[in-house]
Formats: sequence, C-alpha cells, structure tokens
Amino acid sequence: MQSYIRCMKILIVEDEHELASDMVKYLSGEQYVCEVASDFESAIERIDLYHYDCILLDLMLPGGSGLQLLEYLRKENKQDGVIIISAKNSIEDKVVGLKIGADDYLAKPFHLSELSARIFSIIRRKKFDTANVIEQNELNVDMDARSVSVAGNPINLTKKEFDLLLLFLGNKNKVISKNALAEHLSGDLADMMDNHDFVYAHVKNLKKKLTEANYGNYLTTIYGTGYKWRA
Amino acid sequence: MEGMSKLLNRPLKMFAWYALLLLACSIPVYYLAIDQIWISELDEHNYIIKHRIEQKLRESEFSDSEIENVVRLWSVIEPETELVPVLANASQNDSLYEVTRITDFDDEIETDRFRGLRSYIHVNEKTYRFTTETNVEEADETLAAIAAVTVLFFILLLLGFILLNRRISKQIWKPFYLTLDKLSTFDLNKNPNSDFETSDIEEFAQLNQELEKLILRSVSTFNQQKEFIENASHELQTPLAVLRSKLELLIQGQNLTKEQLELIAGINTSLSRLSRINKNILLLAKIDNHQFSDAEQVDVTACLEECLQLLDDHFSSKRLTVERATEAECLQTCNRSLLEMLFNNLLVNAIVHGAEQGVVKVETRPDGFSVSNSGMNQLDSKTIFNRFSTTASSANGSGLGLAISKQVCERYGWEIAYRFENGLHVFSVDF
Repeated sequence: MQSYIRCMKILIVEDEHELASDMVKYLSGEQYVCEVASDFESAIERIDLYHYDCILLDLMLPGGSGLQLLEYLRKENKQDGVIIISAKNSIEDKVVGLKIGADDYLAKPFHLSELSARIFSIIRRKKFDTANVIEQNELNVDMDARSVSVAGNPINLTKKEFDLLLLFLGNKNKVISKNALAEHLSGDLADMMDNHDFVYAHVKNLKKKLTEANYGNYLTTIYGTGYKWRA
Repeated sequence: MEGMSKLLNRPLKMFAWYALLLLACSIPVYYLAIDQIWISELDEHNYIIKHRIEQKLRESEFSDSEIENVVRLWSVIEPETELVPVLANASQNDSLYEVTRITDFDDEIETDRFRGLRSYIHVNEKTYRFTTETNVEEADETLAAIAAVTVLFFILLLLGFILLNRRISKQIWKPFYLTLDKLSTFDLNKNPNSDFETSDIEEFAQLNQELEKLILRSVSTFNQQKEFIENASHELQTPLAVLRSKLELLIQGQNLTKEQLELIAGINTSLSRLSRINKNILLLAKIDNHQFSDAEQVDVTACLEECLQLLDDHFSSKRLTVERATEAECLQTCNRSLLEMLFNNLLVNAIVHGAEQGVVKVETRPDGFSVSNSGMNQLDSKTIFNRFSTTASSANGSGLGLAISKQVCERYGWEIAYRFENGLHVFSVDF
C-alpha cells in the first residue's frame, strides 16, 4: 500500500514563483512529484493532459480566477483533489470554493507542513474509499475510525493527540515548527498568541503513549525549533 | 463648554446693555426737555395773568383809592400774587425767577417750587410792581416719574427681546440647529449621508452646501484609505507566505547549529507577529468595508462555550481558572464569525494579559455578556480600544484585538466598555 502513496502527482497552480518553488522543494522527495502552472491557461492545459492526485489552487491567477478553474474541473468531471490556497482568506470564497467542489481551503500565509498534511489526508481520502489505513512499522492508523494501534494493541489518543499524529505522518522526516503545530491544533486562534507552550504538553503525552505501547522512538525534538517524525 | 454662551444670547446681552445705557441717558434729557417746556409754559401763563390784570384794571377805570383797595384785598386772598405801587422812576425791567419755599396751603407741609414773574403795570399814570408765582412740579418728582416710566419700558423692552430671541432661534435658526444635530451624529464609518435640510437663508444654504462638499470629499478620501489598507495588507500576505515557507525549508537543513536554530526561532516569532498584525489589519478593513454581512440567530452562550473549549489548551497552559456565570439561552441576530471573533479576541486578551494561575470570569446575560480577568492596575479606559494602543507595553498581542472587538460591537450597535473592579479587568458588552 505504501507504494501507492509514493509518486503521487501534484499540480501547483500559483503565480508567485517563489512560493511555488518553495512548495515544490518541500513536497518533492519521497512522496510527491510536483508540477507548477503559473497562469490560468497553462493550468487548463495541464489539467486536460494529465491526471493529478491533488491540485493546489491559488484563486487569483493571471488570465482567470481559480474558481473558474474549479468549475472547469467539475464540468469535465475530473476527480482530482483540490486545495484552494488563497491570500484573500475570505469566508465567502471559502464557502463558494468548497461548494463548487474544492476539498479544502488554506489561507496564506500557511505552514508548508500544514499543506503537506492536508495533501496527505486528501489523497488518502480520494484513494482509499473503503479502508483508509496507514501502516508504518508496528503503527496502524485507521483514518476513518480515527483509531490507532501499535502491534495490534489499541492505544487511546485524545483528539488533539490524534491530530498531531496525522500532522507528523503527513510530514515524515520533516522538521515541523512549534508554530505549525500550534496552528494545526487550534487554527486561527494559535495565530493570536505567541505562547505555544500547550503544544509541548500534547506532544509529550503522545510520545509517552506511543512509547508505552512499545513503538520506536520516531518522534524527536529539534532544539528550539520543533519536532521531527523519522520514518 | 463652560464660559460658552449660545450664539443668540450674545447680541441679546449687547442689545440689553445698549438699551439700558440709552434709556439711562434719556432720563436727564427727558427731564430737561419737560422742565424747559414746563417753565416756558408757566412764564407764558404768568405773563397772561399780568396782561389780563393790567387790561382789566385799565378797562374798569378804577379810581386810585379803589385800586388801592383791590390791591390790599388781593394781597390777602392771593398772597402769591402781589401788586405794589412803586415810584415811577424806579427800574422797570421785568424779571423771571424761581423760588423754593415751604407752603402751608398744601395738604402736607413740604417745600414747593415756584416760578415767578416780576413786572410793572401802569394804571392811571401810576406804576405798580406786579409779582406772581405759580407752583411748578419739583425737579426730583419729575425725575423720579421719568425714571419710573423709563425702567418700566426697559423691562418691557427686555421681555420683548427675550421673547423675540426665542422665536428667532426657534424659527430662523432652525436649519442651523438641524445641521448641527446632523454633524454631531455624523460618523464616517456608518455609511454617512450628507443630505442637509434646504434653507432659504443664504448663509445657511451656503453652509450646508460647503458641508456637503466637505463630507463628500472626506467620504471619498476615507473610502480610498480603507481600500488602500485592505489592498496593502492583502499584498503583504504573499511575501509573508514566501518568508514563512522559506523558513520552513531552512529548518529542514541537517547541519544547523544551535545558534542558527535560535536565530530561526527568533525570526519565526517575529514573523508570526507580523502576519498576525497584518491579518488583523485586513480583518479590521473587512469589517470596516461591511463584509461579514450575513446574519443569523446565534445562541450567544453556546457560541461562547465553543470558543472557551477551543481555547482550553491556552487556559490550562497558563493555569487559568475559568468561572462561568452563563444564562441558559441568549439569542442574538448577528454574523456568527464576527461574534466568534469578538469572543476570541476578548478571551485571548484575558489569557495573554491575565496573571499566571489567575481567574477568567465569563458571564452572559440576556442583554449582554462580560469577560474579566484578574489584574493589578487600572488601564486607561479611554485608549484601550484604540488601534495599537497597547503594543508598546506588550510584545504578545497584535495591538488590534480590542480594536477589532470594538469594531464588531459598533457594527451591531452594541456597547463595549472596560472597567477595573475588585482586582478584575472587566470587558462588558451590552446588546
């Protein structure tokens, strides 16, 4: 099943080259192959030619709006997963986008780790309608039932611990900053405060529960910065 | 406004002083005029008496002895009139004089003023000195009467002024006061309309015209400003996103030293703050620009409870105790996102500024709610809701949380207020 996840194709529709290339750098590697379209026309072209597992869609594009592109996708009955990435952060756009058929909405500026986790979850949802289970060594995560077991022994995670685990699994071998973790856990609210001490508590608990269930020490702390999930 | 008086009271005061001065000056003038008329009239009267007597004496052709009898009789009956024979060669010039003396013919004994005429009558080749005196009103009495009448008229004048003034201020100045009312409730934020009453008074019409122009200019500048702010913070989002992603890529590096990681963490903190401030500016601009327009029935207590739960982690990491005093059901028609924003900002404010292990009290009522946190010193309630008023003292917030709260409240006409009470900073909102 792991092999399916490898070489997932992602189309990044984004006119800001710097941001697009950062996304490519972060996402490329083990799991994803990324392509970039920097305007409306080239995006349509690519969508017509290829199938993508996930499309990251900026709403404001040279040559047309991202929402138009979304409508086009749905008209052509394409099943690509779509995440809107917009600087507008307007509720109306979010509602309209999700209504037309986007799978998720992420406001700029976002954390790349968050983006990666969302892509991970959308691709899994699209691919594995029936049994959406992640396996990593002794670890088994049932995404639909939101249950976790290590070597067959179920462990009881709180909602936040489970969310954290998903973020880590979506960002294997990446350093995830405390800010990204905080934002993942409390959304916009994390943005309102600098103090992210509460993140420590949740990570500590998650680590403790996994260790107690005899799962290897995959979660490491990076000095002053954040955490890394080694796999 | 102390020491200020109404526009129309100024001329009233001046008119009143002028009238007082003028009327006061008129008293001696009236007196002199009346006295003059009086005295010349009495002189004329005295001459008439003299001519009549002279004529009658001549016509009656009395003998000398008869005249003597008449004169004697006369001096008994009319002591104020005197006829005395004098030598023919004596000086015969007429003289007019005034005398004041006590008379006992009056009801009460007092000094009276008399106007006298001394003249000479020639009858039967003889010369008689004729003297007659007529009572004149005393100077002080005339003066008192004139003064009394003048004071009476002054009072009437003053009453008239006041009444007229009221009428004028009510009717003629009405458009002015309407304009003033309109200006005092004028608010650029609240979709200002610049329609003033039309007036047929040139100055007022001109005033309204100029105000309309001024308002139109202000409104357009204000809108441009708002648009600019929204666009500016919007434009900033992309470079911020790039910065953030670059930093995230940077920390993926394998060989980073401790110092480098510390630097990156520092950059991250500032970047977070920067994007937070920018996000809030954008938010304020959006509320200003009347986005978030759709409203629904929202259960305030339930909404507050959701926000509290989302912030649970933050309360516990600062070991804050949340005390609830909530009303079971409290419905308000508003935009849910805005209400959440209001709660979040007030709660986050309580968390960020609350003392470690302190208390956060939340209370909902059918007509409002309040969020309080323990604190030490009273804050400046005048500036606390201003944008960036607290950034100097705290490096934590965006300096816009309370400004956003206020903006949300203003949007729905709710009253937001701050007070310091029993060691608690209380932020209360009245619907």
